[in-house]
Amino acid sequence: MISRFQIAYKNLLRKKARTLLTLVGIMLSAWVLVSLLGFNRGYESALNRDIDNMGYQLMVMAKGCPYEAATMMLQGGTGLRYIEQSMVDSIVNRPEVDKVTPILMQAFFDPDKGDGGGIAGYFGVEAATFPAMKPFFRFRQGGWFHDEQALEAVMGFEAAELEQREVGDPILVPEKNVQLKVVGILERTGTQDDGTIFVPLKTLQKISAIDKITTIGIKVKKDADTTKLETSLYQLPDVQVVSFTQVKQTIMKLVATARVMVLSIAIIALLIAMVGVVNTILMSVLERLQEIGILKTMGAMPSDIFFLVWTETLILCSCGGVAGIGLAFVFARLSDILVRRVLPYAPGGELVAIDLKLALLTLAVIVVVGLLSGIYPAWKAGRVRPLESIRGE
Amino acid sequence: MATDNSSPISRLLKNIAVLSLTLSLFMAVPARAAMNCELNYPASDVARLFPELTSYKTSYFSFTQRGGEPLLRKIEARLGNAPALYAPLDVPYTLYEIYKGDKKVGYIHGVNQKGQFGVLEVFVSLDMNGRIKAFYIQRIAGQWGKKFTSRQFGKQFIGLTLKDFERYDTVSCKGAGKVATIGNPASEAATDFFGVLRAVKKNLVLMDEFFYSTKG
Repeated sequence: MISRFQIAYKNLLRKKARTLLTLVGIMLSAWVLVSLLGFNRGYESALNRDIDNMGYQLMVMAKGCPYEAATMMLQGGTGLRYIEQSMVDSIVNRPEVDKVTPILMQAFFDPDKGDGGGIAGYFGVEAATFPAMKPFFRFRQGGWFHDEQALEAVMGFEAAELEQREVGDPILVPEKNVQLKVVGILERTGTQDDGTIFVPLKTLQKISAIDKITTIGIKVKKDADTTKLETSLYQLPDVQVVSFTQVKQTIMKLVATARVMVLSIAIIALLIAMVGVVNTILMSVLERLQEIGILKTMGAMPSDIFFLVWTETLILCSCGGVAGIGLAFVFARLSDILVRRVLPYAPGGELVAIDLKLALLTLAVIVVVGLLSGIYPAWKAGRVRPLESIRGE
Repeated sequence: MATDNSSPISRLLKNIAVLSLTLSLFMAVPARAAMNCELNYPASDVARLFPELTSYKTSYFSFTQRGGEPLLRKIEARLGNAPALYAPLDVPYTLYEIYKGDKKVGYIHGVNQKGQFGVLEVFVSLDMNGRIKAFYIQRIAGQWGKKFTSRQFGKQFIGLTLKDFERYDTVSCKGAGKVATIGNPASEAATDFFGVLRAVKKNLVLMDEFFYSTKG
């Protein structure tokens, strides 16, 4: 015996073009919806990962316009704002502070790098305090510096790969022509550290002829009041405090605003698709009034007709939803690239994270909304009076 | 004591700016994923290295596309069994195919090679018989860099073919023929000098395996 699904399927095939167009509408809505939900999840976890991988929750740096500092640094490190290294001592003993590490960022012009030369960035760090900030670091070769004044360097995976360096190889600090020995190469971390060259802080200070630092990284104790610490750090002279947690929350808020707008568009797209569903099914019902009348004269109950028409809606929404989610999976990387182009600051890693759970959730939304849209045409079909419909034809 | 009187919003915005700055500074250091060797200014560099061209096409090839691991091992054997550092199979090599009208007249190809203080990026332009028409070092670190990038040093490679390099062992740095007569412009930079010779040989062997030996 032919099942309800088979009848519904055959009915949909009667008007192939109309069915296909409706399917395309549902498919596009599903694609947009799942990609957006995937972005919601992916962006947050990527941002969390990036900020967690910074190793510290607070950063203290010299007061001044950060963009000005960035320009100066990218132009060769001249005119950078520095802070006294003694400031580390005034921070380390605060009750909220777990660990502190001083950092000196320096940039030198390398005429042999990139298009017409480029900036080579060096990070002066202490082997005694910095590794504790980055517990996820693993060495591919070698290890940290042998002493805090050694002419040594630890290279991120990609920095070493780019320069074809191994442990024991020399590198030359551009401009200064100081030779350093590579003592460690890190495993790939998937973060910006992969492209970084770490040098002992004192060595970099000596190379740059400077006894100050640019940044202090602060790891806050678990359950400590970060806001209180931040406020107290602002009492230090001429510093600004960067709280990554706060920054993360603010970025998430900004992203959430944008997301609400895009989600609204997605909901409108979904509604348009569902209007398409209503239109398709209703047209199909109106074209088949005589058939429905005959079915009723043969003993079909209104509920039978209702569920038959509803099944058509179910088939349309399920197929369109599955196709849209499939497209979202296939083009997830493309969506990722597009999002990166649009967003001014995008964290590393996967921005559009779609998994099976999310796919099923989206499919459920599409099917439920679709079935709700299908109630009216199905109800109308169920109410058809047999004699009137047969006469009417 | 200095205090920060700015509003919380401006502090937050400043924080975002600093975070972006920090991340961008991290990203300002080398962070290329694949070790592909490309010309920095293809339009002008290609015209300089192959003056008679009318057009060129950029294409890519890799071991994954053809030959895979066995071909990589074969090439390493031809280079004296010195495994290349950081040479994953899927890294694409960039090839500039040179045309005069509709006719292909040659290639420009570059390779990365370990040098004394960093990577060496060495390019050669080749005619359709695999003869070097031009030699170009795009990147070399060290105060002697100019000696290697000089026209005088580069001239010694013009006209050489893979046959010339086959008579010279770039691992032991011993051999005979035209390659053995190439002079080191900076005696203190032996690693870079032999690195350049290895790079040119690697370049010619790669081109031979991927293009010249596959021609009818």
